[in-house]
Amino acid sequence: MAETDVSPFAPPGVDFTGVSPALIKVRVIVSCIWLGGLAVIGAVLAVATKAAWVWAFPAVFVALLVWALWLVPRQVRAIGYAERDDDLLLRKGILLRSMVVVPYGRMQYVDVSAGPVARALGIASVQLHTAAAATDASIPGLPAAEAARLRDQLASRGESRRSGL
Amino acid sequence: MSVPGGAAPEGAGVEQGPTTADAGEPVVEPHPLEWRRVHPVTPAIRSWKIFVGLIAVVSWQFVDNVSDVQQFVEAGGLRWVFLALGVIILLAAAYSALAWRFTRYAVGDEAVHLNTGIVFRQQRQARLDRLQSVDVVRPLLARLAGLSQLTLEVAGAIDSKVELAFLKDDEAMALRAEILAKAAGVRSGQPGSGGASGDVVGAGDVLAAGEGGPTASAGPLVSQHEEAPERTVIEVPVPRLLGSIALSGALVGVVVLVMAVVAGVVLTLTGQMSLGDVAAGNLIVLIPAVLGVVSVAWSQFSGGYGFRAAISPDGIRLTRGLLETRAQTIAPGRVQAIQLTQPFMWRKAGWWRVRMNVAGYGPTTEDSSTILLPVGDLEQALLACWLVLPDLGTEDAAGALTAAMEGSGEDHGFTLISRRVRFLSPLTFRRNGFLVTERALLLRHGRLRRQVQIVPHERTQSLGVSQGALARSLGVAHFTVHSVAGPVRPYLGDLDEAVAHRLVQEQAARAREARALDRPERWMEQ
Repeated sequence: MAETDVSPFAPPGVDFTGVSPALIKVRVIVSCIWLGGLAVIGAVLAVATKAAWVWAFPAVFVALLVWALWLVPRQVRAIGYAERDDDLLLRKGILLRSMVVVPYGRMQYVDVSAGPVARALGIASVQLHTAAAATDASIPGLPAAEAARLRDQLASRGESRRSGL
Repeated sequence: MSVPGGAAPEGAGVEQGPTTADAGEPVVEPHPLEWRRVHPVTPAIRSWKIFVGLIAVVSWQFVDNVSDVQQFVEAGGLRWVFLALGVIILLAAAYSALAWRFTRYAVGDEAVHLNTGIVFRQQRQARLDRLQSVDVVRPLLARLAGLSQLTLEVAGAIDSKVELAFLKDDEAMALRAEILAKAAGVRSGQPGSGGASGDVVGAGDVLAAGEGGPTASAGPLVSQHEEAPERTVIEVPVPRLLGSIALSGALVGVVVLVMAVVAGVVLTLTGQMSLGDVAAGNLIVLIPAVLGVVSVAWSQFSGGYGFRAAISPDGIRLTRGLLETRAQTIAPGRVQAIQLTQPFMWRKAGWWRVRMNVAGYGPTTEDSSTILLPVGDLEQALLACWLVLPDLGTEDAAGALTAAMEGSGEDHGFTLISRRVRFLSPLTFRRNGFLVTERALLLRHGRLRRQVQIVPHERTQSLGVSQGALARSLGVAHFTVHSVAGPVRPYLGDLDEAVAHRLVQEQAARAREARALDRPERWMEQ
């Protein structure tokens, strides 16, 4: 029933950039390692104890893994960011949608980080920090070069528009 | 500054470490620093705390088992306990004395410097242009000794404050005036004439032109800065404070207590339980409950006792405290958001409580230092708002605020939440809403427990909008203003999607414009 032209999550005249599809791979690999690992442990336990009900544990983990495999690509495709003249827009979520507007002048510092899997696939995440801890502004899954560019861009904009708190 | 969660992908072209857009630039002092020491009695007061802590721990251990204690005492063990205590106290005193030797501070033009630590030396600088508040705290014992602790809050991460403890009362007040004057950017005379502090006058003392200069040569440097004049605006009388506490959690506690006693009596009379059982049962339940109620009520009372709010050129002055007194000075423009609350039981009396977010005061909602007004009537609550926002940005500020506090509907230009959620919030749908003035955003909540949140536009950090599945099917979205950590979390749910969209985009623009016009960080500078 939402009229798409006035949705707060799609401001007119703003083009959101998606994140790298490599993030899907990273998240799938990470959840395979975790949930798959737990499923294997569960299966080993089930074989060892020879009790039929113990198979419930690996079954649950496998179900979670299947769900994650279905969810992750959709989730990643829903992440987007847009650099405007004075602020950065960041949106994410399918069922629970959210969008954050972070003014450059309010940025305190920018973090770039990457885990081992992300690093192997050449992506990194950029996190913006303001004086408010509630500001949840992280852009996961940027190609490394883009992350570096964005970080420098944000840092320089933050500097030129800084005005204390 | 934080360190990246994983190792940075150096090979992939991303440099390691965060890029700092702000903090971290080294402070360059134009003049050599004059180092001072805190008062020599400081170690005694500090080790007294350790002593009390020890006694508490030891007695706590013994309380568990009284018969053991008796045996222990008869066996002559008490002597050893005292000996051990004595040794520990001596060690603590020696440590404190050494710590005192290594603690030095200096007030420069750019920052306040504090060096501490015996083995692990720590040098801390509080940048004066980032100064949020200066608190003079007098714990009971220090108060008896005529000493104060000066706490400087700069907007940093957790634990960014600089504590100068302890200083003589008048020395602390003079230092506060000096720090505030420097932070305000008030200068006179030629720099470097009389040490680090000789060329500065109190912010309120510009016209009087009191020439400050170093006086003591042997002892710590005390400069003669006149206190900025202050005008008391709000005072909370003790009976009202007591009344407000009685009408809050304490009342609930008393009701529960009475009910428990009545239940006990009934059970005894009907013969279902013996008197002893009832008494024992009651005690087990009641003692922790009573202790809890009493301690909360006590902290509210001692924290709000003698509350006084004043306005001065150096910002808002808040004074309070029964045993431990606290005098806060919050520099102008440093209050990030305020929240007026009227619990249901206060409605008949028409009382309000006002809390505030100040960067660096931290997220602890219980902390009494975030209270701008412990209890006050409508007029005092309006005054508290005026302290923070002298200009609300509407023609009828009092009318708009009163509408926010007690009104409902669209009077004074309020925009209400979506009509589509009427069935979900039958009580509040005519009350929950927002009002945008030229200077601030007002969020109004609650029918039974009334609440108003006010965020000045220039203090907006970032904005958020969110929507769950149900909200989406109803075509509504939730709006948030991210403020610094503190008791106020500005939020308004269930706005029409179109309204939420407009509010977010317009607030972003308003915050930008307000920031551009914001006063300089050194608030007396032109």
